[in-house]
Amino acid sequence: MKMRFATRAFIWSFVPFAIMLAGGFWFVQQRVQSTVRTGMRSSLLDAHVSMDRMRAQSELQNSRLLQIVGENPSLKAGLQLVISEPKSKAARLTLEDQLREIAETLHFDLLLVSNSNNTPMAGILRVDDQLVTVDIAGWKPPQKGLFSFGGVAYQLNSFPIDVNDENVGTLSIGERFDLTQFTTPTVLSRLGKVLRSNVPNASPAEVESALGACGEQVECETKIAGESYLTLVSDSTELGDGYVLRSLQSVDSVSGPLHSVLRHVFFVASFLALLSAAAISLLSSRSVAGPIATLVQRLRESEATGLLPDFQTDAATIHEIRELTETFNRAANAVREGRDNLQQAYLEFIGSLASTLDARDNYTAGHSRRVSEYSCMIAEAMNITGEELEVVRMGALLHDIGKIGIIDNVLRKPAKLTREEMALLQQHPSIGRRILEGVRGFQAYLPIVELHHENWDGTGYPLHLPDVTVPMCARIVHVADAYDAMTSARPYRSALSHETAIQELKRCAGSQFDPEIVRVATGTDVVDHLHRHTREAAPTPRLISIIK
Amino acid sequence: MLNRILRISLLILLSGISLRAADVQGTVVVQHKLTKSRVTPTASMYERGVSISLGSDQEHDPLAYERTHVVIYLEGDSANDEVSGELGQKDRRFSPDLVVVPMGSTVSFPNYDPIFHDVFSLSNAKSFDLGNYAQAHSRSITFPKPGIIFVNCHLHSNMSAVIVVTPNRWSTKADAAGHFTLPNVPPGKYTIVAWHKTAGFFRKTIQVTATGHDPIEFAIPLDEEGRVQQASR
Repeated sequence: MKMRFATRAFIWSFVPFAIMLAGGFWFVQQRVQSTVRTGMRSSLLDAHVSMDRMRAQSELQNSRLLQIVGENPSLKAGLQLVISEPKSKAARLTLEDQLREIAETLHFDLLLVSNSNNTPMAGILRVDDQLVTVDIAGWKPPQKGLFSFGGVAYQLNSFPIDVNDENVGTLSIGERFDLTQFTTPTVLSRLGKVLRSNVPNASPAEVESALGACGEQVECETKIAGESYLTLVSDSTELGDGYVLRSLQSVDSVSGPLHSVLRHVFFVASFLALLSAAAISLLSSRSVAGPIATLVQRLRESEATGLLPDFQTDAATIHEIRELTETFNRAANAVREGRDNLQQAYLEFIGSLASTLDARDNYTAGHSRRVSEYSCMIAEAMNITGEELEVVRMGALLHDIGKIGIIDNVLRKPAKLTREEMALLQQHPSIGRRILEGVRGFQAYLPIVELHHENWDGTGYPLHLPDVTVPMCARIVHVADAYDAMTSARPYRSALSHETAIQELKRCAGSQFDPEIVRVATGTDVVDHLHRHTREAAPTPRLISIIK
Repeated sequence: MLNRILRISLLILLSGISLRAADVQGTVVVQHKLTKSRVTPTASMYERGVSISLGSDQEHDPLAYERTHVVIYLEGDSANDEVSGELGQKDRRFSPDLVVVPMGSTVSFPNYDPIFHDVFSLSNAKSFDLGNYAQAHSRSITFPKPGIIFVNCHLHSNMSAVIVVTPNRWSTKADAAGHFTLPNVPPGKYTIVAWHKTAGFFRKTIQVTATGHDPIEFAIPLDEEGRVQQASR
């Protein structure tokens, strides 16, 4: 996978950092939550226990109160009446009436009087808010605890009825046992089977399986319908006969809000920490990758410009980067040296090509070099610089290269050429072009080589192009070529003087030559130079140094 | 003692000339409700399976109730005035709850309820316990001495009645409006007594002539906190 160094540095510094931070925060949060939970749990348990104790207290109060009911003299008299007249319906009715009156006043749901043998004598029951007498035959309710009759559970309490310290019977008082009387979720079970439950959002089956895990434990924490509950067996309410009453408290509902606050705080804190970690990682990755990126940037620039500058090594304070820079500099030096050598070799090659050509004809010896010089002079006077000037220089040097392909008979003929011979000679720009076409890096010189005999009025050769359709460099070389040709001796004529040649150039401006170039070429600056140069035949090595 | 013999002989004399006797009439004014009755059962109670719902006190005019529970009688003895009274038990209540009889009278206590009752009294004037007896049974008690007899039931502690045994036949209860009439009272000077269970005794001296007497009005007064004040006379 390709990746920036900065990105890589960032990822490698940030990711472990982030993982560590996130993990740390998660751990701390879990610890805090569990601590809070433990605290909550114990306080919940305390509240639970104290609530249970309060219930126990109130049960005790209640039982004291109920004891007084058992001391009712009318009831005693009624019981005695029933005992003394066991067959009398009216006697039982009397007792039932008394019980009803007690139930009316004290709002009991069940009242039952038994004799000293625990045989029920009379009983009344509240059904649909109405007190009815019940058929007590076969009733065997417990002295204390839960008693189920007609699908309704009653919580029973029994008190002895004594006359003269002699027990004559028992009064049992029952109140409807309903889970709605409990403020917390409560579950009534018997031998592990849930009979009643008012746990919100949970079916009795769920509650049963959850509480099954608690087994015989008095205090237990369990999960019902995804919520954590603390359960406690209530010992305030004696139910007997295997009935167990468990009260539950939702731990989540108590610690939930606190946990959500904690989560919020930790989320914000970890977010900020991650943000700062990201910032730090970014900075550190920048500080590591920055110098390299700068180096890369500069390499890219030098790739674009083709220049190989020396990089400053002092700027990089990092040891490795400095070494890298120095290595690069050394490599760049080597490349530069190689390139210079190549350039040198290339120039020498062109120079030798030109010399080869010149050597074939004594009369044209040094012609290429002079044309090159003159062309440069004119070009410089026309404010042509840089690459373009180089093109002019090289192009001019090579402009007659096509003459290599012209047979010696024509080229070195000491007399005027015939028509056919002239036609052969005029092929030399095209030949030159063909020669150089195949050479890589010589493309720029082709227009000079091919078109340096085109005239301004389109009468030149080989393509007969007029005025500006011929590139500027070719037009310059055309003028310089003509000047040198005129000022050089030929087998069939002697050399023209400088002044005559200038005159001739001026005369042909607009027809043969570009008038603008002629104006420049015949301007004082260039003319002086030309004049001076025609006097001295420059040796080859010097020319090379000029080109260079 | 002499005074008493004189009074009795006077009464005998007066009874002989009853044509000259006058009706003693008067009014009882009760300023405040004296008895706090809580609730009364609204339905018949003893049907098996039917429960009792309790209603509020249906008494429209509580003062009228108080007035009907004021007993008026003349002090002084008289012989052979005995009558038969009845104090039944119905709907777990004594019915009526106030019986006025001259001394020597016999009161029967029939049980009209389907349940047992055990009527008794611990009052000084006459204490008795009739024991448990069921419906359609009755017991009787003769009251030889005048006095106030509070009657209760062993089986039903909230049952309560009063038997007022007066010294002679000139005794009555005020009506709802508070009016009372003691017929055929021979002329003479009497002490007329008004008694209410809560307010107690109120006495006035009246002079009865053949043509009548000064107007009699018993105001059963109360102080600002609702307590009964004793009559000034």
